[in-house]
Amino acid sequence: MRIRTVFFLSLLYAALIVLPHFLKYHQQDFLIFLTINILVVVSYRLVTLTGEWSLIHAVMMGVGAYTSALISKNFDISFWITLPLAGVMAGLVALLLSYPLFRMTQFYFLIGSFAAGEAIRLTWIQFIKPFGGTGGTSAIPSPELMNIDFLEPIPYFYLVLIVVSICVYLLYRIENSRIGLTLHAVHWKGVLAESVGVNTWNYRTLAFVIGSLFVGIAGALKVHYIGTVAPKQFDIGFMVFILIWVIVGGYRTFYGAIIGAVVLSILDEILRGVEQLRPAIYGATLIFFILYLPGGLESLPQKIRQKFRANRESAT
Amino acid sequence: MSKIETNASRRKFLKQVAAGATTATAASIIPSRAFSANKQLTVGMNIPMTGDLAPWGLPGYYGCEIIARNINAAGGVTIGGETYDINIATYDHGYETDKAVQGMKKLVLEDDAKMVMMLGGATVAAVLPWATRRKVLTTTLLPSDITPDSNYLVATCESHPLYNVTGVEWLARNYPDAKTAVIVTNNDVEYGLQSTATYQAAFEVAGIEVVDTNLHGFDVTDFAPIVSSVLDKDPDIFCMATSFYVTPIMEQLYHQGFDGKIISCTLDFYHEIIAKTSVDFVNGTIFQFPDFDDPALADVNFPDPGGFDAAFRADHPNDWSAVAWEYPVILLNWIENAQAAGSVESEAVTAQMTGSEQNFVFGGGSWWGSQLWGLDNVLVGKWPVVVVEDGRARIQEYGDLAAWLDANNDVLIKHMKALGLRTV
Repeated sequence: MRIRTVFFLSLLYAALIVLPHFLKYHQQDFLIFLTINILVVVSYRLVTLTGEWSLIHAVMMGVGAYTSALISKNFDISFWITLPLAGVMAGLVALLLSYPLFRMTQFYFLIGSFAAGEAIRLTWIQFIKPFGGTGGTSAIPSPELMNIDFLEPIPYFYLVLIVVSICVYLLYRIENSRIGLTLHAVHWKGVLAESVGVNTWNYRTLAFVIGSLFVGIAGALKVHYIGTVAPKQFDIGFMVFILIWVIVGGYRTFYGAIIGAVVLSILDEILRGVEQLRPAIYGATLIFFILYLPGGLESLPQKIRQKFRANRESAT
Repeated sequence: MSKIETNASRRKFLKQVAAGATTATAASIIPSRAFSANKQLTVGMNIPMTGDLAPWGLPGYYGCEIIARNINAAGGVTIGGETYDINIATYDHGYETDKAVQGMKKLVLEDDAKMVMMLGGATVAAVLPWATRRKVLTTTLLPSDITPDSNYLVATCESHPLYNVTGVEWLARNYPDAKTAVIVTNNDVEYGLQSTATYQAAFEVAGIEVVDTNLHGFDVTDFAPIVSSVLDKDPDIFCMATSFYVTPIMEQLYHQGFDGKIISCTLDFYHEIIAKTSVDFVNGTIFQFPDFDDPALADVNFPDPGGFDAAFRADHPNDWSAVAWEYPVILLNWIENAQAAGSVESEAVTAQMTGSEQNFVFGGGSWWGSQLWGLDNVLVGKWPVVVVEDGRARIQEYGDLAAWLDANNDVLIKHMKALGLRTV
């Protein structure tokens, strides 16, 4: 790791550690959800590396959320055990779904993943026992550790920060490993990759399972703070937000989706004062980004640099 | 404070608010708080103001703004020797649980809201752990949110869907030949299923047989097959149990020539239904939510209902819905209890509320709920039975909900359990 990166990350974490103490109470909650959403978009990015954009990621988050919530509530099992179980269950469901889903590609995969996601969501709605129907399940216990009060936002934020940091680091390592390079190859040179013996089906499945595993953990983190889990939390509306965050942030670099989630979530919060106009302003902002910054926010520094270079050259 | 004193001060307060309406109308363009030396008393609304459920949030905020304007124009409200102006602080959670949690904390800790009004459902479940621990008085329109340990959650106005039994009682009495019914509604737990169980219980008590029940998902776009399949059973009564799709279902009933009795929990925006069908068709439809210009509201515990209705429709001509008056009723009830308690703090007001006789907006008023949800935090009283007459919603009578529940709660619990709903 380069010294500049280490320095930047040290500064970032120092800022994140002190940040909640300068925020208002509800903004601390916002910070928790934002941090969880970073794991959501980064894990989604892994799935998209193979070129397949799915519409099931939000539901996979729900699979993890329901798993952890129901096990911890009904069997009185600790959050520390149900948290990894949430990821494992989401990964297993993804593995199961990969057999029918990866018979399709591109647009068909997109639609197929949406249908599979809706089937899972409707299961939560139709089976009141054990899922609780549309109302979901509440009174989900919060984590317990050494008398730390995880109902309070600052301790929970630190917990989320640690878990999300580990997960994001692992996802970063996967993307920059030989597996990650192969995933890129499956996307951009699929036929060539197959011709040299790469089993593209297996790699697409692997990306889908790993992405689902991590988003399952994100789901568990969320519901153990809110204390309730309901199908609406993981509906197509939330999935659209994930897509928007990734598209607006940019999907060519690892950090693009993170920037998208952070900037748009903050924008959404800033617009809270103008409730009636919020959807319109939010939509207009999206259209602006898509028209004038199609490479996403991640391409902004490069564009600015190019602009400066062009100005300098025209001046000389 | 004795009940006589409470009643006297309540009447005085309601008159004062009604008088304030006149002043407020004249000066509505000037914020009354701008010139007031009174302290601010903030009440929170953590509700959906955007999204699909906005019609069950936003009109309530508009209604509360009118009431607050009237109170402030009348000089404010005196509680515990201090005179306050009412300030309504809102947070739009868009019916998202995480936003609801943020909203609750913002309203209580940053806006200093002394009481928080909510719609109900998953958003209330999400805020309950924190709100209960902090002892924040929270109100819901869905009593099914109440749990055995939710001591600071009360339902002081809408006792959804319990009041639906009054409509069925009236129907059975006035149309004794109607002996079979079908129920159509969405299959959600918070609204559809709770209401279905209640209607099933009410029909059973009234001796009406339910010959078909269709619980559909939210993804339905064409109601023709659903309506035609239940009409095949040739029912005398078509019941919509808190349906989110009243308008398209009514359109289908019209097109398929249904000529029996229609009963529904809500008939929001019924003028639009009339525009899409006909006055003759909608006339006779029974539901539970009055317009506030109804002459039969003259003696209710609400200051100048007609004036409120006029002010609302002048400010927001197309936004009236069932919640337009419900949140204001909750606000007024809270003020009355705060005055009686001599405090605005949650613990004192909650103790005053749940520990004393209450005057429900339509008369009567007793605490109920432990039989079903484990805590007597639902205020039940008389509830209006409304029928469309000449294209206008008109109250026929005030049904006695408390009496029905006392006599038949075992039937209700049986149907709730049969649908897998939470009971104690």
